[in-house]
Amino acid sequence: MFAVCDCDNCYCSCERVFRPDLNGRPVVVLSNNDGCVVARSNEAKQLGVKMGMPYFRMRQLFPNADITALSSNYELYGDMTGRVMALLRRACPGYFFRYSIDEAFCELPDDWPPERLRAWGQALHTDIKRGTGMPVSIGMGRTKTLAKLASHFAKRYPGYHHACLIDTDEQREKALALCPIGDVWGIGRRNTAKLQALGVATALDFARWTEQRVNQHFTVTALRTWRELNGTSCIENEKMAAKQSICVSRSFDGMVDDAEILSHHVANFSVHVAQKLRRQGTVAGVVGVFIDTNRFRDDLEQYYNYADRQLLTPSSSSTVIAATAQRILDSIFKAGRHYKRAGVVALGLLPDNAIQTNLLNGDGEHVQRQRRLDALIDRLNNIEGENAVQLASQQYRPGPDGKPVHFADALRHAFRSPNYTTRWTDLILLK
Amino acid sequence: MDTIVLSDAEFDYASERPLAEAIKAGFPSPAEDYMRDAIDFNRDMIRNPETTFYGRVSGDSMVDAGIGDGDIAVIDRSLLAHDGDIVVAYVNNEFTIKILDLSHRADGYVELRPANPRYVPIRIHNTDNFEVWGVVVYTIRQWRH
Repeated sequence: MFAVCDCDNCYCSCERVFRPDLNGRPVVVLSNNDGCVVARSNEAKQLGVKMGMPYFRMRQLFPNADITALSSNYELYGDMTGRVMALLRRACPGYFFRYSIDEAFCELPDDWPPERLRAWGQALHTDIKRGTGMPVSIGMGRTKTLAKLASHFAKRYPGYHHACLIDTDEQREKALALCPIGDVWGIGRRNTAKLQALGVATALDFARWTEQRVNQHFTVTALRTWRELNGTSCIENEKMAAKQSICVSRSFDGMVDDAEILSHHVANFSVHVAQKLRRQGTVAGVVGVFIDTNRFRDDLEQYYNYADRQLLTPSSSSTVIAATAQRILDSIFKAGRHYKRAGVVALGLLPDNAIQTNLLNGDGEHVQRQRRLDALIDRLNNIEGENAVQLASQQYRPGPDGKPVHFADALRHAFRSPNYTTRWTDLILLK
Repeated sequence: MDTIVLSDAEFDYASERPLAEAIKAGFPSPAEDYMRDAIDFNRDMIRNPETTFYGRVSGDSMVDAGIGDGDIAVIDRSLLAHDGDIVVAYVNNEFTIKILDLSHRADGYVELRPANPRYVPIRIHNTDNFEVWGVVVYTIRQWRH
């Protein structure tokens, strides 16, 4: 038996813990740079605010709605979701796997009767809500895909008390019939369009296909989903883990056409990616970079490109990732375009201890030296504050006041909440 | 730009471990049986780190309870609030630290009592919507900066 547990409207819920006045009111969280909506409270969803909607558009469309818009505060969300995950892990009797920032799978004993499963889920919701203020939903089923489906129901219908179990075949078919095919976990947009063209409207329509027919039209990924919808568990944790990648990207405040400034940004993203890799104890086999112009400015020439490179030796070193990203950027950069967005991705992630030194790359001593340097930089930045030690390529040119313009200052975040849980200066005030 | 010279930094991780193994290596010590980890505030006072939050006291409404302006309150949200607990609650759009008085629940209200005669208790009638945000387990005051 699998359970999937995730936070409801995660970022909005984090904000509400420290702003109880926002309970019951429409709240949205904006992307870096206050560009567009990345999280919505239920009230904002009901108003019709869409995911990804640009902030200025939202204000035009809902001039009279009293929507509270907040800048994203990932420091706060990281701390709050870390607390939720720690509590989930402790409550999970079997295998635990964190799937994303606010979502985890648990394996539950197969011999637990349905009442016990439901009671476990409801108690989990109650304990986490009281302990952290965060609302979580729990979906349970014989497969991960069915658990995800159950979680939709747990969120939508209050009668489940935040924990829904899809248990018998009768329940399963009823739930599948209510689920549009596009909402099935892991189906993806391309396969949804293809399935719809073949007359599939609900998850049940697809589940009733024969295996042969699935094989005829689709790849093994869709076949796995088909099996899971029919109650056979076949998506392994390791498979999900292997798919994961790390991406750091930003929209710029204004547009960037200068190659040097763009490469500073890419260097910053690279260092962030490398730090994330080191924090989770992984190394990347492939580094990718993308750059994009402003899609909303159809008066300007548009350009998008992405390229990646295999590393000779998988690495989590800031210097290696930044140098590789720079080489990729050089290969895709086109002068004369106004860039609005760029990003660095790390793919082919492996556990740190699985590194195989490539013979062409010389000796292991070089890798060891890089590792010591990165550990030293991490340590200094921990003590002295983020970006106390930077790569030279991260530095911006001097700003108007002569000081280097820092990355964080280049972003707009007009409505950011305090870091209530991670900084002594930002604690809630108790009158 | 100034040149920064990084000397070879081998941090001595060994010193962070208890010394038992080193002692075992050559010098059996009678004290070894009594070795314990040092007192650790985080470990001993924050029993539930995931549900513990901090707040900064502002004002003198709790001064007679020994809680003053600028003190840090350690708040555990996982604890059930009892009558007489010092709690944090959200009332009139602000967080407040007060003593929880549940003795009038039969009469349909609860009170948040200050510890300073210059303040009046906050009476909450609609107890359905009232929630204690967390229970204060410690307050910390700095005496010397």
